[in-house]
Amino acid sequence: MTLLRRYGTLLALALIVAVFAVASPGAFGTVANLVNITQQMSLLAIVAIGATLVMVVGEFDLSVSAVVSFAGIAAVSLFGAGHGIAAVFALVVIAALAMGTVSGFLVARFAVPSFIATLAFGTVIGGLTFWISDGATLFSGIPPAFRDLGRGTVLGLPVPTLWLIGTAVIAWLLLDATEFGRRLYAIGGNREAARLVGLPVRRDMIIAFALSAGLAALAGLLLAARLGSAHPTGGGGYLLSAYAAVFLGMTAFREGEPSVPGTLVGAAIIAVVSNGLTILGVPSFLQDLMTGAIILAAVLVRQLGRAGD
Amino acid sequence: MTNAGEGRQPFLVLAGVSRHFGATRALDGADLEIAPGEVHALVGENGAGKSTLIKLLSGLHQPGGGAILVDGAAASIAGPLAAEALGFRFIHQELNLVPQFDTVGNAWIGRRHPHRGPFIDRAAMRARVAAVAARIAPDLPLDRPAARLTPGQRQMAEIVRALMTDARLVVMDEPTSSLSEAEAEAERLHAVVRQLSVSGTAVLFISHRLDEVMALADGYTVLRGGRTVGAGRVKDIDRAGLVRLMSGGPASAETLPKAARLAPSGDIALSANIAFGPAGSHAVIEIGAGEIVGLYGLVGAGRSALLKALWGALPVVGTIRLAGRPLAGGPAGRIAQGAVYVPEDRRREGFAGALSIADNLALAHLSDFRRIPRLPLPARGQIHAFARDVGTRLRLVAASLDSSPLTLSGGNQQKLLFGRWLGRPIRLALIDEPTRGVDVGAKAEIHGEIRRIAASGAAVIAATSDIEELMALADRVLVMNGGRIVADLAGAVLTREAVVAAAFGHAPRSHPPQPNRAAAVA
Repeated sequence: MTLLRRYGTLLALALIVAVFAVASPGAFGTVANLVNITQQMSLLAIVAIGATLVMVVGEFDLSVSAVVSFAGIAAVSLFGAGHGIAAVFALVVIAALAMGTVSGFLVARFAVPSFIATLAFGTVIGGLTFWISDGATLFSGIPPAFRDLGRGTVLGLPVPTLWLIGTAVIAWLLLDATEFGRRLYAIGGNREAARLVGLPVRRDMIIAFALSAGLAALAGLLLAARLGSAHPTGGGGYLLSAYAAVFLGMTAFREGEPSVPGTLVGAAIIAVVSNGLTILGVPSFLQDLMTGAIILAAVLVRQLGRAGD
Repeated sequence: MTNAGEGRQPFLVLAGVSRHFGATRALDGADLEIAPGEVHALVGENGAGKSTLIKLLSGLHQPGGGAILVDGAAASIAGPLAAEALGFRFIHQELNLVPQFDTVGNAWIGRRHPHRGPFIDRAAMRARVAAVAARIAPDLPLDRPAARLTPGQRQMAEIVRALMTDARLVVMDEPTSSLSEAEAEAERLHAVVRQLSVSGTAVLFISHRLDEVMALADGYTVLRGGRTVGAGRVKDIDRAGLVRLMSGGPASAETLPKAARLAPSGDIALSANIAFGPAGSHAVIEIGAGEIVGLYGLVGAGRSALLKALWGALPVVGTIRLAGRPLAGGPAGRIAQGAVYVPEDRRREGFAGALSIADNLALAHLSDFRRIPRLPLPARGQIHAFARDVGTRLRLVAASLDSSPLTLSGGNQQKLLFGRWLGRPIRLALIDEPTRGVDVGAKAEIHGEIRRIAASGAAVIAATSDIEELMALADRVLVMNGGRIVADLAGAVLTREAVVAAAFGHAPRSHPPQPNRAAAVA
């Protein structure tokens, strides 16, 4: 029972994989498809890792999907203006870091509830994105080399999967193996205690928001690279899925704390369910229904387990 | 008591410091001197300025006047880091650990962690913490999250954190208020304080327990109304003297004489035979009308759980009868039958900070304050009239009845929790820690109120960790241990020793539990 409570979410992932493998022999369980799933989950997981950083300090960043959309539109616009790949990458990520800094500043300095601050600021970013793009899908002027950053394989692994691995390793080390990470968890665990021992609470919170926006921008760039186009609401679906992954992940490990490995498990569950149901030919509205039900079930099992303590 | 600090020059001197908040003079010319290795008690009623003084030392507030001298030189303590650099460490009243972090993680918060390459070195971190813990708390679990430590262990974890680097002064704000007085943990804390003193670290502690002050401190400073009204060596003063200084008057309230009261009528008001809370918890209780029963036990013995179970706030198996009728229907059902409850944790369980004092007073029986009896529209005028009555009767000190209860001092917050039940007949009062963190004056008033409630014919159960309060207030004492009532003491056998012995699991001397009144020892 303790085992089920502690690793229930991991077991659920294994169970879901097993069910799909049996239900669609020769399709779901193949190595090629499993590798494909890592690619399908990669952008979602990168956004979710950013959300995790903010979640660790006990806040929400609801502007992530707006930043994903902004990054794609901004990148294609900059390509249209004749900038090179490195410059575009740098400019877009810097712009996103600045946006995250603004969100973080509003929350950390003025104690605006992050739910409201990032919802409002995300709306501002969304408006800005529409303004830049005139509401249109942009696709002209994208260099082929940029597109290769979001497609193809290296050493047999899809490029987006490699981005995810790199992001996850860095974020995981940052949170679990550095002083900065310890500080973020301390702030999330007991902000007053963190303040009383002189931690730079505001600065660290702002950095967490900036990193969240930066990772959302990375996902937006990779999305534009993969699609070869950018739409002003292209990132719209990432917000809820990313937080679903974070919450699922919080049920996976360690006393309900947000963590990078947990978020990866959460993103994997969402991707596996979507992939498996697609292979089985289940219509997409049923997929949403199933995904939502799984998240509710995971959280419910967790709560029931707690009540038994 | 150690003799450390005697005759040595003080290293920390506060000279005439003041601090105003708007028109409120929290500190108005306070003096304090502490010598190396001295154990110094800072005493005073609630609102005397003790917490503000500590906040000046910790750099959270800046003095508006006067001077803080460290080693004879004026010191400006700009913030927590500056206080840390001076060697000042603080164990705050609300424990300030990160609940998810273990002892090792908590000890290193805010410090430069040891690294191996770019990453923090957990093994080195743990080794350093283990070395500190070995000196003061060898059996403290180092790898268990703070959330799962006992209150005493959490406090030790905080002290370990404070001693990670050389400390000249450790400040403790009511260090034993979360520990049961009889508990080994409080004694353990005292031992650590003495040990710090011997090793040359001064300890400044705030306490409302004068026994503790007399037993532990070398020097004392008494604050009243933001001023230092007395200071000296503890060996040169007695409890009554301290109380006189604190209250500005003769020591009448503090000694808490048992009031002469009419004997309880003998009619059984409350009878219960219930299993509740954690597995194995079981209680058989009978309480007479007009009787005040004290409920004692170590932290975790099940006192609060028993009260919550009687109040219908925890699942219960069994029967509870009040004046012969079954008590049912959760808290609302209890209220309808004339029962009242005063929770232990004022802020979390007592009142709603977003509502005004008046609204909080009316909260438990809003339906009594309606413009039109059948319409659930609160009548503000009636609520205010009720609040004014209660405020007068309990001598509630509040800037305005429309302000938040969070603006009240601890004692006045506690009065508010009693006040909400006044003005209606009370048949059963369940009171958890009636006066924790409350100053001496308010304590006496609250005890008077409890006696009035009993005198009106109510059965009263008051759980307390303060054995002085227990002895002063209770006609009869039930001692709990491991979720069960293990002793039922009254009359001649109701002694401190018997209570403490029972709480620690020894059989009470010469008074076996009565089968009808107490569950058998498991």
